[in-house]
Amino acid sequence: MMTAEPITLRKTLTDDTFFLNMGPQHPSTHGVLRLLLKLDGEYVRACEPVLGYSHRGHEHMAQNRTYLQFMPNPSRMDYLSGLLYNDAYCRAVEKACAIRVPERAEYIRAICCELNRISSHLLWFGSYVMDLGGITPFLYAFDDREDVLGILNEVSGSRLTYSYCCFGGVSRDLNDPFLQKLKAFIPKMRGRLKDYDTLVSKNIIFIKRTRDVGVIHADLARDYGLTGSTLRASGVSYDIRKKEPYGLYPEFDFEVPTRPEGDCLARYQVRLAEIEQSLRIVEQALARMPQGPICAENVPQYVTPEPGDYHFSYESARGQVGIYIVSDGSRIPYRMKWRTPSFCNLSILPVLLPGTLVADTIAILGSLDVVIPEIDR
Amino acid sequence: MCCGVSKDTAKLRPGKGRPNKIMNAQTAIEKRLIHRFGETLIGPADDSFKGFHVRLDLPKERIPELAQLLHEAGCFLEYVTAVDRNDHLELVYVFGTYGDPARIRAGVRVPKGETAPSISRVFPGADWHEREVFDFFGQVFSGHPDLKRILLPETADYHPLLKDFRAPARLNGMQGPERP
Repeated sequence: MMTAEPITLRKTLTDDTFFLNMGPQHPSTHGVLRLLLKLDGEYVRACEPVLGYSHRGHEHMAQNRTYLQFMPNPSRMDYLSGLLYNDAYCRAVEKACAIRVPERAEYIRAICCELNRISSHLLWFGSYVMDLGGITPFLYAFDDREDVLGILNEVSGSRLTYSYCCFGGVSRDLNDPFLQKLKAFIPKMRGRLKDYDTLVSKNIIFIKRTRDVGVIHADLARDYGLTGSTLRASGVSYDIRKKEPYGLYPEFDFEVPTRPEGDCLARYQVRLAEIEQSLRIVEQALARMPQGPICAENVPQYVTPEPGDYHFSYESARGQVGIYIVSDGSRIPYRMKWRTPSFCNLSILPVLLPGTLVADTIAILGSLDVVIPEIDR
Repeated sequence: MCCGVSKDTAKLRPGKGRPNKIMNAQTAIEKRLIHRFGETLIGPADDSFKGFHVRLDLPKERIPELAQLLHEAGCFLEYVTAVDRNDHLELVYVFGTYGDPARIRAGVRVPKGETAPSISRVFPGADWHEREVFDFFGQVFSGHPDLKRILLPETADYHPLLKDFRAPARLNGMQGPERP
């Protein structure tokens, strides 16, 4: 990026401090995040994240095309939980247009979305432990994630950027290979969670790298608008699936894992506990799923919400996605704003890093579970 | 309290049984909102349909006051954004709570070219949101610690979400689609 003006942080350098550019190609910044660090020896004195390297103008694209034409875009914002974003967008439009989704489609969405949440957490788990120097769990996690991607591929035809949901339901019904693979996957994943527990959670090196590192207190989290598992590791039980439930979530029996510590280890423990909760939701949905239509009938090709503004909140793998749609009654959105959880979760980094070691920068940044294309949009 | 949300805010959500108007409010935070912002309330907000529980329409000078009140009440800032209404910008501030859902939407009309007060002293997280609004709409926030572009290159000389923006053939040295 060309800079017309000197970065503010550079102006504050003194004789004792020097400047380090971490990223945008640093492997532990998971995408294209650039961190400007002011260092005093091994200690971070100040940090300034530079965003926008993968800005694609999704909000501008939204106001240049119809609601249906925008369908492929949301899953490309957060490509690790693409189906959740796809579902969020469909639900936002369905709510604004009062489209009812058939019950079977709701169950299918719940199953597929929770699977996608598991795959997103698995990727985070593998890459986070690798950031801290453990290569082996990465291979196991990607093996499990490959299973999930294979399952979702059976029904949606894609592995990463899904457009499986459609306004009023889902585009294809579940098939036998999907159900067979899924039934084999659930017990295998439970066994793997035990392996992860012995391999990583009780590993003394891992615990020493993460305990009491990057502590976020609940009040600080609120000042920066944190949501998702990053917030729940600070002791706040805030999950949209419980607070403002959508779909069938009020009917499922699941817990919202929280930890009071607020450090990197707590964020790790919350996410691993969430995998188990997602498995529970999948099991319950599989057991109760009725037969019936998978998509509402008579959904118009051009959905047109009444003039006005609409908000919809959704719990993605990283926190609260807020979709704000302003309609002028035409086929094309007048304005569409995406409040992405990583944007807010990362904004806390400049107050979290000062005083920590450079090595802990990796541990803290990784524990926030940010996806940069979701921030840059 | 673990989550820093006061009991008062938790009750802010209008119940399903009673008319969905904050004017029937009983709790302290609702009384404070009515007391300080009663004339700016527009309702009834239809939370089940449009996602907002409380709607306010404020003059721009009063935004820091509202932010302060909601910060003390235990709310968090969900986002700040803007809508280009052709003759003016409408800034949209959305606040939520970690307790029971109470989503407060404050709309502010700002004529194009005028500044609006920053709330980043009250909610530090507003820093990036206000930078984004500046980036996309050119809205200047007075009192912001470091107002500069956040997603677009610092060399950019355009604000792409304004309705009169037309993407040029070449942008930042990259060839765009042919336009008539």
